Amino acid sequence: MIYSNPKFSKRVRNLKILLIGQPNVGKSSLLNALVGSRVTVSNYPGTTVEVTEARKKIDDTEIEFLDTPGIYSISDRSEEEKVSEKALFEGEANGVIIIADATALERSLYMVLQILEAEMPVIIALNFVEEAEKKGILIDLEKLGKLLNVAVVPINPLTKKGINNLLDSLLGIKSSSKGFGVVYDDHIEGAIEQICLELGKSRLPKRFIALRILEEDEHFYKYLKDRKIIGEVKEKLYEHPKVAEDISINRYGTASFIAEKVTEIIHIEKEERMQDDIDRVLLHKIWGPFITGLSFIVVFGILLYFGNFIQGFLMGLMENLLSSIKVAEHSIITVLLFQGLTGLTAGISIALPYIFLFYLLLGLLEDIGILSRFIVNAERFLKKLGLPGKSFIPLALGLGCTAPATIATRVLSSKKEQFRAASLFAFVPCSSRIAIIMGIVGFYGGIMLAISIFAVLFIAGLIWAFGIKRFVHIERQYLLLELPPYRRPLLKNVLVKSWIRMKDFVYLVIPLLAIGGIAYGILDIYNFTNTVVGPLSPITNWLRLPDVTIIPLVFGFLQKDLTGGMLVSVLGSEVSLVLTPLQIYTFGVATTIGIPCIIALGMLIKEFGFRKAITLTIASIIYGLLFAGLTLRVISFFQV
Amino acid sequence: MIEESDILRIVEEDILRVLYERKGNLPLESVKAEIKASHSYISKAIEGLLREDLIVIEENFVNLTKNGVGRAKGILEKHLVLEDYFKRTRSEEEAHKIAHILEHYVSQEVIKNIKVLSTFKGEGSPLTKPVLAKEFLITDITIPDNELFERIVSMGIFPGNRIKLTNEIPGGIIVRVKNKKFALDKEIAKDIRVLEHSSVEILRD
Repeated sequence: MIYSNPKFSKRVRNLKILLIGQPNVGKSSLLNALVGSRVTVSNYPGTTVEVTEARKKIDDTEIEFLDTPGIYSISDRSEEEKVSEKALFEGEANGVIIIADATALERSLYMVLQILEAEMPVIIALNFVEEAEKKGILIDLEKLGKLLNVAVVPINPLTKKGINNLLDSLLGIKSSSKGFGVVYDDHIEGAIEQICLELGKSRLPKRFIALRILEEDEHFYKYLKDRKIIGEVKEKLYEHPKVAEDISINRYGTASFIAEKVTEIIHIEKEERMQDDIDRVLLHKIWGPFITGLSFIVVFGILLYFGNFIQGFLMGLMENLLSSIKVAEHSIITVLLFQGLTGLTAGISIALPYIFLFYLLLGLLEDIGILSRFIVNAERFLKKLGLPGKSFIPLALGLGCTAPATIATRVLSSKKEQFRAASLFAFVPCSSRIAIIMGIVGFYGGIMLAISIFAVLFIAGLIWAFGIKRFVHIERQYLLLELPPYRRPLLKNVLVKSWIRMKDFVYLVIPLLAIGGIAYGILDIYNFTNTVVGPLSPITNWLRLPDVTIIPLVFGFLQKDLTGGMLVSVLGSEVSLVLTPLQIYTFGVATTIGIPCIIALGMLIKEFGFRKAITLTIASIIYGLLFAGLTLRVISFFQV
Repeated sequence: MIEESDILRIVEEDILRVLYERKGNLPLESVKAEIKASHSYISKAIEGLLREDLIVIEENFVNLTKNGVGRAKGILEKHLVLEDYFKRTRSEEEAHKIAHILEHYVSQEVIKNIKVLSTFKGEGSPLTKPVLAKEFLITDITIPDNELFERIVSMGIFPGNRIKLTNEIPGGIIVRVKNKKFALDKEIAKDIRVLEHSSVEILRD
């Protein structure tokens, strides 16, 4: 191994980089951002305007930055321009950073084109990109870079955004790549050719020097072998007495052509008009509610499809886990552990995928800006039920899980409104109840029967709400809602929002589901579950169901997701042989109307107090049983 | 509902106004007693005012700084312009109350518009009548419910501001105020009185 001292083995590369740009384009702040606090400032004496110098070392490269005075173009008319020009063409810069203004790209491009003519390695640092976007000016940076054949880096010196990219581009700066060149009118091109023939040797490209001479920059006359040529060229161009002006017009034309090609201007007014047009459809008196309803059907289609998919996967996983416990010794502890895990499994595999997907889709609709329009459409309908439009959100959330939805009623302005909205959770099927409807009623009785349960829930809810409105004085609700603009959703926003909504479910509801499972297990072991069968037989008689079905009806309240399992365990797996479709329907209605479970009850107690919560829960369950029995009798009356 | 940052700003401005009206040098306790807000808001507001160099506290006595006097003058001037304007259609007491709410929300542009409006004779027509997509100047808001009034004001819907009707929906309208869109009940809309913006513009010349 060869010993080497890094100090000697590494060759330090030196890069001299010029910063060029218009006044107030942010050159100084860029220099600060580039070099940081280690700015070493030194002035070039002898001029009234100065060049600031600062150094920065990156790995084995020492970069020397030269900040020049702000100029609008390269010429020798003002003191600033003279200084900048000198730094550009007489110093030995390895490259130039041109700081361009995204809000006035055309003007910045003029100078870019000028410097590219000198065939200097250029990087464009584009400042004020965000401001431009706010003004509706969008710049295609990639296209700009390709057109000019230079690197274009968006920067923000204040937030230091893009500074590292700029430094990376600097380290890779090449002197060989040739940038875009302006093609001038024929008479100018002819003159350039003529002058080029008369130029001596120089570091600078001949075409560039010729252009400078034609633009009457006296600094460049020294490159001519004989100054007489100027007179000769001028004579030839007698038809175009203002060559210098023609050149800048050509250059400006090219600059604006390029700027136009890479810029997209969105008229804010046009944008507003578009937003209003979308609203004309989404808030239309017929299309609005139609689209709102359809969207929710689509959301549920997605939920049922993907939810089932994930559910099947999780179920399989958890069942494997459970069966490994089953074979172990049957002590009380293992049985309880088993029951707790069953409760947990049911919760995680049935409720979690639905709720997560649902909240995700809801968050997406919210972020796009559509949800607030849905609220406006729903308001018309909810107002008839005596509810404010804002109750749309908690009610929609109720389609996930009743417990967090109860907390969400806090968006409503009064406790009264809150309670009225919460009472409708008895009819808004949560994921567990949807699983019962699809998994039990749908599975054993067919999809049409399942859909009819949804319809019955809806009708039962309507009757309930109108009933309340009839007997309780309700203050008039005014529609007053901000409608955020439509926009592309930000995934991070959506995820964060969904997670906030999920949190209550994950931390609160899931552990309680396990406890519910254990509670049911204890009652089951001590044969407690069977003791309710006799005394509560009037209920099953009223519902015309087998007496044992009272067990899932009652104990489903401990853990709703276990209802299906309980039904199978009391009736055997051939449920459809034991129950008629009408009985399956009755069971479905009786078990889905009402405050669904002990967790929801707990949440209601927390929000509204014990008495109100218990009253609502018991009343809604009795209402559900009555409704199930009554509709059963109506149907069987027509069947006979 | 009114944003918390709004409440804090309102408390800050009220403190400045009280100090200005009483010519400063008030004990901290009497400032706290004068302002109708919770103590946590008042202490937060005082912190903010100290940070902004608008007040100074010396031995528990509060005084306005030079900047503070300037700011307080500005608020009071807004208040007077608004009060004068509302006196045209309301009792003095009512005008005073409304000016107290509005002074915290209106910008200088709005005050300028109010000054123009106060030379205008018409009272404006309800927002329900105007034509779609045209810009209007709000001349008055006649909502009787105080809470609703302040909510609407906090949304930027108040006299002197421009409003555009963009859509009509069953039972209400959609408006645009300062790049924000709102769905408004027809009942609320009929209490918002407006003038066609162009007619006011002509008056200004």
